[in-house]
Amino acid sequence: MFVASLLRTRRVAALALTAVMLGTACAGGASPTATSSAQTGGTPVAGGTVTIPIVADPTLNPWSPNAFVESVFPNRVLFASVTKPGKDLAPAPDLAESWSAATDGLSWTFKLRAGMKWSDGQPLNADDIAFTFNDVVLKKELAANGAGNFAAVKSVTAVDPTTVRFDLLRPFAALPSYLAYNAGILPKHVLSADPLKTTSFNKGVPVSSGPYKVEKYTAGQSVSMVRNDSYFGPKPYLDKVVFSVVPDPNTQIAQALSGDIGIMLLDDKASVDRVKSASNLTVQSRPLVQYYWLALNQTDSRFTDVRVRQAFVYAINRKAIIDSVERGYGSIANSAISPALKAYYDPSLASKYGYDPEKAKSLLKDAGWTAGADGILTKDGKPFKFTMDVGQKGPLEPVNALIQQDLKKVGVQADLNTMEWNSYIQKVVVQRNYTATVNWWVYPSDPDVFPYYHSSAAGKGFNIPGYQDPKLDDILVRGQAATDVEKRKAVYKELQSYMAENEPYLFLWYPEEVDVFSTSLKGVPELGLRDAMHYIGEWWLAKK
Amino acid sequence: MTLAGRIALGVLIALALFAFVLPLLWTIPPETTDPANRLATPSAIHPLGTDEIGRDILSRLAHGGQITLVVGVAAMLTALAVGIVVGGVAGFYGGLLDGVLMRLTDAMLAIPAFFLVLVVITVLGSDLATLVLVIGGLSWMPVARVVYGETLRWKVAEFVVAAESLGASSLRILVRHVLPQALPVLLVSATLGVGNAILTESAVSYLGLGVQPPTPSWGNMLQRAQQYVFTSPLLAFYPGAAIMLVVLAFNFAGDAVRDRFDPRSRSRV
Amino acid sequence: MIVFTSALTFFFVNLAPGGPSSIMNMSATAEQRDALIRAMGLDRPVAVRYVDWLGGALRGDLGTSLTTDLPIATLLGDRLPNTLLLSGTALALALLVGIPIGIVQALRRGTWLDRILDLISTLGLAVPVFWLGIVLILIFAVNLHVLPSSGVSSVSDDSFGDRLAHLVLPAFALATTILPTVVRFMRTSLIEVLGTEYLRTAEAKGLREATVIVRHALPNALMPVVSAIGALIPRLLGGTVVTEAVFSWPGMGRLALDAANGRDYPLVTGIALVVATIAVVTSIVVDVVYTRLDPRVALS
Repeated sequence: MFVASLLRTRRVAALALTAVMLGTACAGGASPTATSSAQTGGTPVAGGTVTIPIVADPTLNPWSPNAFVESVFPNRVLFASVTKPGKDLAPAPDLAESWSAATDGLSWTFKLRAGMKWSDGQPLNADDIAFTFNDVVLKKELAANGAGNFAAVKSVTAVDPTTVRFDLLRPFAALPSYLAYNAGILPKHVLSADPLKTTSFNKGVPVSSGPYKVEKYTAGQSVSMVRNDSYFGPKPYLDKVVFSVVPDPNTQIAQALSGDIGIMLLDDKASVDRVKSASNLTVQSRPLVQYYWLALNQTDSRFTDVRVRQAFVYAINRKAIIDSVERGYGSIANSAISPALKAYYDPSLASKYGYDPEKAKSLLKDAGWTAGADGILTKDGKPFKFTMDVGQKGPLEPVNALIQQDLKKVGVQADLNTMEWNSYIQKVVVQRNYTATVNWWVYPSDPDVFPYYHSSAAGKGFNIPGYQDPKLDDILVRGQAATDVEKRKAVYKELQSYMAENEPYLFLWYPEEVDVFSTSLKGVPELGLRDAMHYIGEWWLAKK
Repeated sequence: MTLAGRIALGVLIALALFAFVLPLLWTIPPETTDPANRLATPSAIHPLGTDEIGRDILSRLAHGGQITLVVGVAAMLTALAVGIVVGGVAGFYGGLLDGVLMRLTDAMLAIPAFFLVLVVITVLGSDLATLVLVIGGLSWMPVARVVYGETLRWKVAEFVVAAESLGASSLRILVRHVLPQALPVLLVSATLGVGNAILTESAVSYLGLGVQPPTPSWGNMLQRAQQYVFTSPLLAFYPGAAIMLVVLAFNFAGDAVRDRFDPRSRSRV
Repeated sequence: MIVFTSALTFFFVNLAPGGPSSIMNMSATAEQRDALIRAMGLDRPVAVRYVDWLGGALRGDLGTSLTTDLPIATLLGDRLPNTLLLSGTALALALLVGIPIGIVQALRRGTWLDRILDLISTLGLAVPVFWLGIVLILIFAVNLHVLPSSGVSSVSDDSFGDRLAHLVLPAFALATTILPTVVRFMRTSLIEVLGTEYLRTAEAKGLREATVIVRHALPNALMPVVSAIGALIPRLLGGTVVTEAVFSWPGMGRLALDAANGRDYPLVTGIALVVATIAVVTSIVVDVVYTRLDPRVALS
C-alpha cells in the first residue's frame, strides 16, 4: 500500500515535471539557440557515460552503401562535415567557418578552420574534402550512399589548405544544407586506396575527426567511444559514449525503463504513454524534415484528374491517423515543406483540406464517377478498384488499413498487398510496378525538393508518382537558382501553394520525432536526434 | 476416453465453432477501423475491446481463428500426405528406394527447420498456400518415420502375405491393408502436428514473415500486439491465450487418442 | 549432402525478389543501383555466381557479406560461438531440470503431483517462446532489476559473473522449447523400464527400491532420452532465431534472419552450410554416444 502511494506521488511528480518542461520547450522554441530550459539545469560538469541504442552493427563510413539508418548516429559523431545543421536548422560552421556563392551561382567557396587534425594527429584540410568528393562521392562506380544529393556538383578543388571550392553544373543554392546531411569528410591519407570497403575502418576503429573517437568495436554488441584529443572544437563533457546494438524495439524500451540508456529515438510511438510515466525518463518531441505521402501512379489515367487526387485528400481522415498511429505527434501536411523548416514553411496552408467525405464524394462525382449498385464508384463501366502496395516498415501497415477504410466510405475500393520491405522496394521503387502506395521522404534541412518533383525525375528518379508538370518544374528550377534568402522564401511559398492545389504526391502528415532520455542527461539541443548528434560535445550528465 | 481427452475435444469443438460459426452471427467486419475508439476496454459493442486502430478484437480473433486453424490443419494434412507416401513407399518396397528415402528423411530431420522456413518464405513470399506448403513440407519427417516403422511391421503379417499371394498389387496392399493399421499412430501424429504447425505459424508471423495483414491470424495479431506490451498488454493476451489453448487442446486430444488405441499406454496413467 | 544443401540454398535465395539492402532502399538512385549490381557481380547468371562461390568455399574462403563487406568466415566465427553457448546452456538446463522432473513423475505416476507437473509441461509446450521472452524481460529486468535485458555482456563490466547474468534469461526461455519433451521422454521411458520383467526379477532378488532404480532402471531409461536429444537439437537451434531476436543476442539465428531479409546471398549460403554441418556433426555425435552407452545396440 505504502509502495503504491509512493509510486503514485512519483508518477504525479513526473507528469508535472513533464508538463512544465513541455511548456517551457514550446515557449523557448523561437530562439535560434533553443535548448530546453529543463536541460540547462545547472553548470555542465565533465564525466559520465551515455549509452545510445541502435538497431544493428553500424558501418563507420557515411558514404558506404551499407551505411543504413543504424549508422547515422555514430557517423555524425565521428566525422565532422563541411557544415552541420544549426540549432535553427540553417547550415552552421563545422569544418568550414564561412562560405559564399559566386555571383553566377555556379560555384561555392568555403573557408576552413586552420590547424585541424585527425584523431591520429595528421592534418585535416581542404585536401580531405576534395578527396571525399572527387574520389568517392562523384565517382559513379562506387555508388556512394547519398551521392545522388550532389548530382549538381561537377568537381571540388582544394584552392589552398584552408579554402575549398565546389564547382557546379547548375546553380545549387542548397549546397551548404546538403553538406550538413550525412556528408562526413573522410581521411585521404587512410582511405585513398579503398575508400568504401576498408573494413578495419568501417567495422573497426576508424581515423575520425569529431569530438569522440572509437575506442572499441565489439561486433553484435556495441561501439564505445572516448574523447578525441585532436578535435578542433571545445573539449566534450562526457567521458564516454556507447552505441549499443539492440535490434528489438521492445528491448530498447525495457532498457530505457530500467535506466540503462542515456537517450534513444522512440521509433514506434505505441509505448509512449508507458515511457512518459517512468520517473527516470523524459519524453520530448522534435520536429522533423519528413513527410508521409500517398503516391498515385500517374500512368494510371484515373489519377491524372486533379479532382480525384483532391477528393482522396478530403476522404482520408489524416488527423485520426496522427492521433492513433503517431499518438498525436505530427501535423497535417499539404505540401512538401515541413514546419521544421521554420524560415520557409507556410502555415496558412495547414487547414486547406479538412476531413470531408462529402466533399470527396462530390469531387469524384464531378470527375465522372457515379455510385454503383454495391456502393463502389464506377466510370465507363469500370469500378474504382485498385491495389495498394504496403511495405512492412514503421507505421505503414496500420496507416494503410485506416486509409483503406476511409476510401471505402467514399466508394473507392483499395485492396492491400502487404509485402516484406526488400521485395516492396523492388516492385514499387525499382520497377515502378504499382498503382498506389504510401511511404515517406526524409531529406536535408532545405526546401529544395527538386529531385522528388521534377519531371526529369519521373520513371527512374525519386519522382515516384511520375508527375510531370512544366509549371511545377519552373518553380523548382527558380528555387534552385535563387541564392538570396528572401528570394528563396518567395519562390518556395509559391511552391507550397502550387503543391497543395495540385497534389503531385498526396501529402499526408509531418511526423514528429519522439526522444526518450534519462532525466540526468542535459545539454541536448532541441533538434532531431540525428542533428543533435553534431552537438554531442555539449551534452553532460548531472550528478544524482 | 479420459476426462482430459473429453475436455480437450470439447475445447476444440468450441474453438471451431468460435472461429467458423461466430462470424456468421457477430457481423462486425475484422478490418473496419475506428481510430477514435482505439484500444478501448471491453464494452457491449466490443466485448473484447478494440485494437490499436479501433478494429473489433472479438471479430479479429474469430476470423483469425479461421486462418490459424485452417493453416494448422492444412499444413498437418500436407505433412501427413508427404510422410505417408515417403514412409510407406520406403517401407514397402525396401531396397535402394528405402535407403534413399530414409536417408533423406534423416537428413531433413537433422536440419533445424526454422532456418529453412525463413529462407523459403523469404524467397517464395508469404501467401497462405506457400505458408501451408512450407510448414507442412518441413514437418513430414516424423510421420514418414512412423509410417515406415508401421509398414515394416505389418508387411510381414499373415493377411498381407495372403493378399500378395492372391495377386493383389503392391499399391492396393499398402493402401487397403497396411495403412489402416497405422491409423491410430497417425492420428496421434496428426493432432500433435496441428499444434506444432500453429506454433510455427505464430513464430513466423512474429518475425513478420507469416500471414500478412490486414488478414488477421492469431500469430500476426501477436506480432502487432507486441509493440503494445508496455501500454496494453491485454492486446497480446487474447491471441496468445487462444494459441496456447488450441495447442494444449490438440496435445491432450492426441494423448487421449493414443490412450484409446494403444492399450499398453493405459498403464501409464 | 552438405554440398547439396549449399547449392539448393544458393539457387533458392537468389530467386528471391529484391536484392541486397544496399541496392533496395528508398534513397538509392537508379545509377547507384546499377553501379552496385555491377560491383557485387550480381549481373552475372546465377550458375556462374554459384561456381564462383563454390570454388572459394572449397578453398576455405566463404566470400564477403554483401550487407557488411566483412568476410563471411569472420562473421560466422563471431556469431557461432554465441549461439553454441546459448543452445548449449539451454540444453544443459533442460536436461538438468527435465530429467529429475521426469523421474519424479515416473515414480509418482498417477498422483496429483504427476498430473500437475504434466499440465505445466504441456503448457510449456504451448507457450510461444517470444512471448515468454518478453515477459521474462518485463519481470526480471524492468520490474525487479535483477537481470540484464539483452546482449552477451555489459559494456562496462565484462567479467564472468556479468556474462553469466546475461545468459540466464535467454537460456531459460530457449530451454522451455525442449524441456517439456525431455520430461515426457524421461517419464515414459522410466515407466516402461520399471514395468519390465528384468526389473521385477531384480526386486524379487531383494534389492532395495532405491538401488533398483538407480543401478538398473535409470541407465536403461536414459537410453531413449539420449536418442531423443539428437532429435531435439535441431528444434533447439531453430528456436535460437526467435530467442536471439528478443534478447538481442548476437548469434547465428539473428544473423540468418538479417541475411535472409537483406538478401545477402553469400551469407545465407554460408549460414546454410554451417547449419547443415552442425546438423550432421551432432547426429553423428549422438549416435556415437548412444552406441557407447548401450552395448546391446552395438552388438545388433
